[in-house]
Parts: sequence; C-alpha cells; structure tokens
Amino acid sequence: MRLVLLAAGFAMTFAAVAGDPPAAAAGNAGAGKDKSRMCAGCHGINDYRIAYPEVYAVPRIGGQDAAYIAKSLEAYRSGARKHVAMQAMAAQLTDQDIADIAAFYAEGGAK
Amino acid sequence: MKRRCFAILAASLACTLSHGEVTDAVRKKTEGACAACHGPAGAKPTMPGAPKLAGQQYEYLVQTLEAFRSGSRESPIMGAMAKPLTDADIRSMARYYSELPGLQTKY
Repeated sequence: MRLVLLAAGFAMTFAAVAGDPPAAAAGNAGAGKDKSRMCAGCHGINDYRIAYPEVYAVPRIGGQDAAYIAKSLEAYRSGARKHVAMQAMAAQLTDQDIADIAAFYAEGGAK
Repeated sequence: MKRRCFAILAASLACTLSHGEVTDAVRKKTEGACAACHGPAGAKPTMPGAPKLAGQQYEYLVQTLEAFRSGSRESPIMGAMAKPLTDADIRSMARYYSELPGLQTKY
C-alpha cells in the first residue's frame, strides 16, 4: 500500500515537472496577430540587427515555443532580463497581451 | 607568390573556423546536454520554458551563449552550461542549430 502511494507520488511529481507550466492566461493567436505589429518592426525582418544600445542580432521567433516567449516577455517586463528596446516594449504589455502574442508566434515555423 | 598563396589559404581557413565548423564532438555534445532540455535537434523543448533552437539565426545563438557564459544574461542552468565553452565550441554549436530547419522569421 505504502509502495503504491509512493509510486503515485512519484508519478504526480514527474507529471508536474514534465507537463506544461500552468498557463496564467489562455492565448488567442488572432488577437496576438494584431498585438504583434510592434514586434514585426524588428522580428519581421530576417537576420535583422539593431544598433542600439549595441549591435544585437534579433532572434527568429516564428514557431517558437509559446511558454518560452511568454517567459521572456515577463522577464523583460520585470527587468529580470535586460535589453533596452525589449524592456520598453514589454513594459506596455498585460498578461493577456503576452499570452496572445506568445500564441501568435508559436504558430508556424518549419515542421 | 607561394607565400602569398599560403597566406590566402590560411586566411580563408581562419575565416571558415571563425564562422563555426560543426565538429563531431560538438554534435555529440548538443545531442546530449542541450537536447536534454531543448529536445532532439533543438526542435521540441522537453523542459517547460526552454526555447526551440533549430533554425535560430547563427549570430543570435552566438551572442546568447556568450551572454550566458559571461553572466550578462542570467540563468542558473544556462550559465553553468555555457561556462566551460570555448569560442570555437560556441560558434560550432550555433552553426549546428542555425542550419537545422525550424524557427522562421514571421511577419
């Protein structure tokens, strides 16, 4: 009995680790498309580099994992991850905006 | 003349190396350590919140690994991973992931 409980405990722990993080807000890709206009200025140009505050190669985000995009935007918003332009962009976003933008960019990319 | 030819050869070799040569050692490393979180071929992250790497642009991958290595971008996991990497390792890994199909520029 104790063994079964232990096994169940392990299974639950593993599921919690392996599963997706709890989504704070469900993202809407359609709404995200409208909200992505300001992202496209840099992320919409292949191999784009911005020159301020230093030369920085802008990443491709089409097809990127939604959880990663959301985590990055949250980190820029809180200041935990630093980049002048991205912190300024993220500062304006609500949780719902972040979820929507993440959902929009997560769609697509090569399979 | 011979010397000049040699100089050109050496320069072009240096150029190739500086753009990252995907070595077997690096391929093995990426399929082990990196794949544990970023997924096989960097295409399907297994750890929640880890990004896809396949198809990411080369220069972004280089600057990101350098930032993790120097600590200018903070991450307990990636900081520890990047610390032992040489410049050549970083370029090679960046080359490897940038040449795989995956992420795209989306407008």
